[in-house]
Amino acid sequence: MFILSLGRSLMFALQSFWRNFWLSLATIVIIFLTFLSINFLIGINAVSDSALAAVKDRVDISVYFKPEVQEVKISEIKSHLGAMPQVKDIVYKSPELNLKEFQERHKNDANIQETLKELEGNPLGGTLVIRAGQLADYPEVLKAVDNPAYADLIEEKNYEDHQLVITRINNISDNVRKGAIIISILFILIAILIVFNTVRIAIFTHQNEISIMKLVGASNWFIRAPFIFESIFSGIIGCLLALAVFYPLLSLVQPQLASFFNGANFDLVGYFNNHLVWIVGSQLVGIIILNFISSSAAIGRYLKV
Amino acid sequence: MIHLIDIFKEFPPNTVALRGINLHIEAGEFVSIVGLSGSGKTTVVRLLIAEAKPTKGQIVVGGWDITKIKNSQVPCLRRQIGVVFQDFKLLNKKTVFENVAFALQVAGTVRSRINSIVPQVLEIVDLKDKANRYPQQLSGGEKQRVAIARALIHRPKVLLADEPTGNLDTINSKGIIDLLLKINEFGTTVVLVTHDKDIVNSLKKRVVTLDAGAVSQDQRVGKYVI
Repeated sequence: MFILSLGRSLMFALQSFWRNFWLSLATIVIIFLTFLSINFLIGINAVSDSALAAVKDRVDISVYFKPEVQEVKISEIKSHLGAMPQVKDIVYKSPELNLKEFQERHKNDANIQETLKELEGNPLGGTLVIRAGQLADYPEVLKAVDNPAYADLIEEKNYEDHQLVITRINNISDNVRKGAIIISILFILIAILIVFNTVRIAIFTHQNEISIMKLVGASNWFIRAPFIFESIFSGIIGCLLALAVFYPLLSLVQPQLASFFNGANFDLVGYFNNHLVWIVGSQLVGIIILNFISSSAAIGRYLKV
Repeated sequence: MIHLIDIFKEFPPNTVALRGINLHIEAGEFVSIVGLSGSGKTTVVRLLIAEAKPTKGQIVVGGWDITKIKNSQVPCLRRQIGVVFQDFKLLNKKTVFENVAFALQVAGTVRSRINSIVPQVLEIVDLKDKANRYPQQLSGGEKQRVAIARALIHRPKVLLADEPTGNLDTINSKGIIDLLLKINEFGTTVVLVTHDKDIVNSLKKRVVTLDAGAVSQDQRVGKYVI
């Protein structure tokens, strides 16, 4: 009996969906536009997160040692700093490597090349390039580098510039996140209002049908179910349609993004592929719950005896 | 079959639709309820299908006291009482067959039984050949016959007809009344609510006259006298 009624409710929902095609289409379009907007927002979030991650990845602290400091001493400092939980990665660059890189960087500058030839030996010392796990960890690392015991050994530190960059990135990151949360909440509220009202309009146009259903002895559940199923159909179609349109758009935007990130390995299509189950799943569950609540609330007033 | 005992019905703030109605209809009777607009005819129908509840009094249909019926029991009652209205109340997006079958589908009847019963009932109302048409493709008389077929599908013991000929011309009205008489001959109790004088006088059946919410006349073989 339950299976039979469920099957009939689904059949009536499909019939009504098809026979009220224009109303169904209007509902689908609204849901489609809502999901398209939400997908764009997810895309923008992903892009901004990746942009920040790319910039953060390039932040490091370079500690330039005086030429007379022995590699053994630098290794000692490296071990000490490397033991800090905040330090993710620490690389030693030998004086020879630094000189080679310096010559390579200035190979077109005849004056520098001439000066290097005139100097006896390597004027550059060793360098430690330190990367912290999080941006917020850098102040702690910088504090450790500022140890007075190292003051006579260090020629130069580039932490001053980085401190400014780190503060700026942290501020931008916080603001982007706050903005994204506010926009997301706004979009979700708009979607709830639009879907709720669309379903209410759909049920309002069916009020004559509901009174006839009651007249022939349909139970409230039997009357309610086809409307709920119908709105769920619209939700599922709208959601899948938004994805079907969004993916080709992503492929179009992808090359522009790649050039924006200056060759950095950022794949928005890949991001959506990796999170597809989560994105589609949460959107479907969301629209089904929203449509269920909207339909139930909208139809309730017509079910009173 | 139907017993209305000292029924009062008030609508807030101060409208009294029925004032102490006592009416007893036996099984197999054909009763016409007549009266001017606002006399309470339609309120009686609404009470009998539990669309409204009396302010005071008791209503018993087929041994079932429906005065304090629970909301969950209303669908069951409505499957036992067939009702037809002046405005037909058909589902325009469903075919004739689907409109009639719908009353069985909501009751959980299996498809094979639906496919066997619906054509039989459509044959009774002479619409078997129009089973696949939609209501907008039918005449007024045909629409009312679909409504009657739907009302009969559960083989109810009572058929309520609220102004069934109100939207029909004379010929179609006669066709509908003949159909109601035929249904009554099969043993179904028919309650006809109407203000059509010619129809009531031609029936030569019991006539209950309502006036200002009260029964003013109840004649075994009556005439329309207002």
